[in-house]
Formats: sequence, structure tokens, C-alpha cells
Amino acid sequence: MPADSPIEQRPNRDGRHASPIRLIRRPWAVAAVLVGVLIVCGAAAGLARASHTGRPAVNPTGAPSLVPIPAGKVAAVPPAQPETVPRPTGLVIPAIGVKTRLIKLGVTSAGTLQVPASTSVAGWFTGSPRPGEPGSAVIAGHIDSYIGPGIFFRLRDLRPGNLVYVQRGRGSLAVFKVTAVRTYLKSKFPTADIYGPVPNAQLRLITCGGTFDPATGHYLSNVIAFAVLQP
Amino acid sequence: MRKATFLSRLARVAAAGTIAAVGLTMSQLAVAAPSASASTGVGWIRLAHLSPNTPAVDVYLYSFGNSNAMIVLRHVSYGTVSPFEQVAAGDYTVAMRAAGAAASTKPVLSTAVDIHSGHAYTVAGVGPASGLRLQVIPDRLTTPPGKSLVRVIQASMDQDVVTVTAGSAALATNLKFASVTSYVAVNPGTWTVHVTGSSEKATASVSLTAGSLHTLVILDEHGKLAIDDLMDAEGSKVDPAGAPQTGFGGTAPRPGAALLPWAAAGLAGLFFAAGGLLLVTRRRRPALHAR
Repeated sequence: MPADSPIEQRPNRDGRHASPIRLIRRPWAVAAVLVGVLIVCGAAAGLARASHTGRPAVNPTGAPSLVPIPAGKVAAVPPAQPETVPRPTGLVIPAIGVKTRLIKLGVTSAGTLQVPASTSVAGWFTGSPRPGEPGSAVIAGHIDSYIGPGIFFRLRDLRPGNLVYVQRGRGSLAVFKVTAVRTYLKSKFPTADIYGPVPNAQLRLITCGGTFDPATGHYLSNVIAFAVLQP
Repeated sequence: MRKATFLSRLARVAAAGTIAAVGLTMSQLAVAAPSASASTGVGWIRLAHLSPNTPAVDVYLYSFGNSNAMIVLRHVSYGTVSPFEQVAAGDYTVAMRAAGAAASTKPVLSTAVDIHSGHAYTVAGVGPASGLRLQVIPDRLTTPPGKSLVRVIQASMDQDVVTVTAGSAALATNLKFASVTSYVAVNPGTWTVHVTGSSEKATASVSLTAGSLHTLVILDEHGKLAIDDLMDAEGSKVDPAGAPQTGFGGTAPRPGAALLPWAAAGLAGLFFAAGGLLLVTRRRRPALHAR
């Protein structure tokens, strides 16, 4: 820069040379930049949160291997004339880290399936056969609460062949093998496949899934795991 | 440098938005595809020995064309009914051999069974030993709402015909040996079943729940008439209406609309920052002229 440059030689209002404080000669502009950066960062964070896939990096229910396979005498295939099967008390699904007690679910006054009041437990529908009896035992649990994962958050991750353990009274245990995991629009809920008669002992695990509709506060689909009693 | 960071952040934000939108579309597509029934590809079969004067047999179930038996039930005697086996839908062969006979020997009887997806079958050896045959009896897997379905298999040779009632419901009237009725809808409850044969009578208490299907088998048991209550299938006592609401959305991907305000705010911030940056780095020419 030439030595006689008028800018370089021009003293500031207070008489001193400007070069060290040139950067802050327009503090309001600098402030504008900083505020802009903050807004952008905030918006980026908001966008990232708003568009996240709904799967926290941390496994909320613990690593699968941490869930011990329950012990107990495994029930044989039910005889043609079933003896009284004890009531289900607990559910363990090592593959997706589920370990919960089972509450009892009935039918609401509106005629719909009652769902657990807590999102951290699953419930057995008392109108369905007991797990291990001929017929489809129905167990429902929440995918999430208002703020985070529920007991069946990872139900959609179950794969055919995964084992499901239902603990029952008198220390007995029924072991089911997953045959399919499917997603159904709630408008096309497969009522007959869930509640209809079947000849052998089966299990239906139900939660929500698919798209969440903030207008109704409900998911548009159900995720259902189908399983059959292991011989 | 800062600008580059803004841009890459914006790019990432845009990418995240796009991925979310595509993901949403994909999941909707997956759901929109016609969903197959849960029992697609499987059926059920149970095997029974209902011939009073035929000695115990070994019952074999073969997948059609496969000489290795899928299931072998040994020493099945009169009155025995196996639990249902879930098998892949398809063609099967049921064969009966005398108890203890080698699997390689020619069966006494055999029959083909075409197991349809989602259907159940009872394959029973019926009739007198002299006229033993294997009968394929299709089992139903639906009930009218709030009802139980009951049918009767007459497997008593001592009684030519039987008449069977459950409460006030007539289940079978003068039913001949080795025949089966169709299902009759019965109100749920615990009913006293009366069987009246040509020379014998029997009663049994049978508990019928809504959504269940039963077969009552009439048997000769040590010279006496007996009733065996078989569970064909069981469903829920009531079918809850609609689909359960099992989620509150705390982990749901937010729909695209929620992204807009954030994107707008981001753009506004970007303009703010860019404007400020421009002003900071701009030469103070206007000030020069003023001087």
C-alpha cells in the first residue's frame, strides 16, 4: 500500500491511527453478522431436530445381549384338549431389548382395545387366548410417549426367527418364534388376522408405526409382529 | 471461511430435509402396498384315529413327492387326535401303517391332502376296520360375532345313530356312524351336552367361548358312550373395534411442514449475516467523499 494513501494516513476522530481497530469500526455490522450466525445455527439445529429419523443413537432399552433369556419350564405343545394355561405375567424379547411385566388390557367403552396407561409396559388383551393356548394371544405396547421411546419402540426391528418369551404364572414359560413383522394402515387393520380364530398357539405383538399425524396425535399405521409357539 | 461453514450447514440442512421427505414417501409407499394375510403360505393339519375296532397305527405325514416323512405319530390308538401342526400350504400325503411297521413298508391306507393357505384340516381314519378309510375333514376358522361354532363326529360303532344337543341347540339328529355334521352356531356359555344313542346315553359339560370352534367326538369307551371335546380353533372373545392407538409421537419423524419455519429462519439469519459481513468488509468510500 502506498505510504501516501489518504486512508492509511487519515487519523480517526480521536486522532489515533485506525489500523488496529479497523475491524470494529462498524460494530453494529459485526453484531449483525454474529446475530445472523446465531440464527442460522439455531435454525440448522431446529431443522436437524425436526427432520431426524426418530431413532436416538443410544439404544433406549439397553443392548439386546443385556436382556437375559428367562428361565422356567418350557410348555409343551398344547394338547388337543388344553389344560388351564397360567396367566401371562411378563414379556422378554432379547432381540430388541424388551423386558417388561404384562398388565391386563380390556376393551374401552368405545369398543376399542384398551392400551397401557404407561408407555413403559406392555399389556395382554384378556379377551384373547392366554399365550400358549390355541389361538392368537394379543399383546399391545406403545412405540413412544410424548417425549421418547416406549416399550415397543423397536418392535419393527424384530425379524422372523427371533424368539419371544412370555413368562406366566407358576413359573412357566411360553416360547414363540417370530414368523413375520408387518405394517398396516390403521384404516386397513387386519382384525381377522389379529383376533380371529386359529387352530394353534400364536402370538400377536402390536404397536404403532408409519407416519405420525400431528393433527390427530396418532400414528397412521400399526406395526404387528406375528409369532407361533415353539414346540 | 465463515461463509463456507454457513453454506455447508445449509447444504446439510437441505440434504436432511430431502432425506426426511424421501424417507416419508418411502414409508408411505411400503404401507400402501397390499398387505398379505398373516397366515399367507401356511395351513394346519391334525391327525386322528376314529375307527373303534382298528388297532393302533403309526400315522405318517409326507410333503407330496418326498419319501421322508415330515411328521410320524407312533402308536396312535382309537380316540386319539393330535394337536394341529402348522405346515406350509401345499400338497401332502397322509399314510397309516400298523403300529411298529417299518416306514419302508406299504401303508395300509393313504390319502392326498391339499392344504390351502390359511385353512385347517382334520385327517381321520374312520369307519369299521373292515371298511377303514382316511377322511379329510375341512375345519372352519371363522365364527359369527359373539358365537361359538360346534359340530359332531359320530365315531361310536356301538350306537348306529346318535342325537346330540347342547342346551336347547340341536347339534346332530340321528347322525350315522362315521359321519360328521356341519358347524352349528351356539351362544357362548357352559352347556350340558346330551348324547342319545340307540341304547346308550351320555352327558358332558362343555365350555364354549365366543370366537371358538369345537368338534365333539362321540366315542365308544370301554363299552360306554363318551364325548370328547376338541378345540378346533380359538379367537378373541370380542374383536375390539378399529386399530389400537399405541403411540404419542415422541419419536416420530416430524412431517415436512414443520421444517418450513426453521428453513425460513435459517435463510433470514443467512441474509442478516451476509449483509453484516458485506458492510464490515466494504471500503468506506462514501466517508472519503464526504471529507
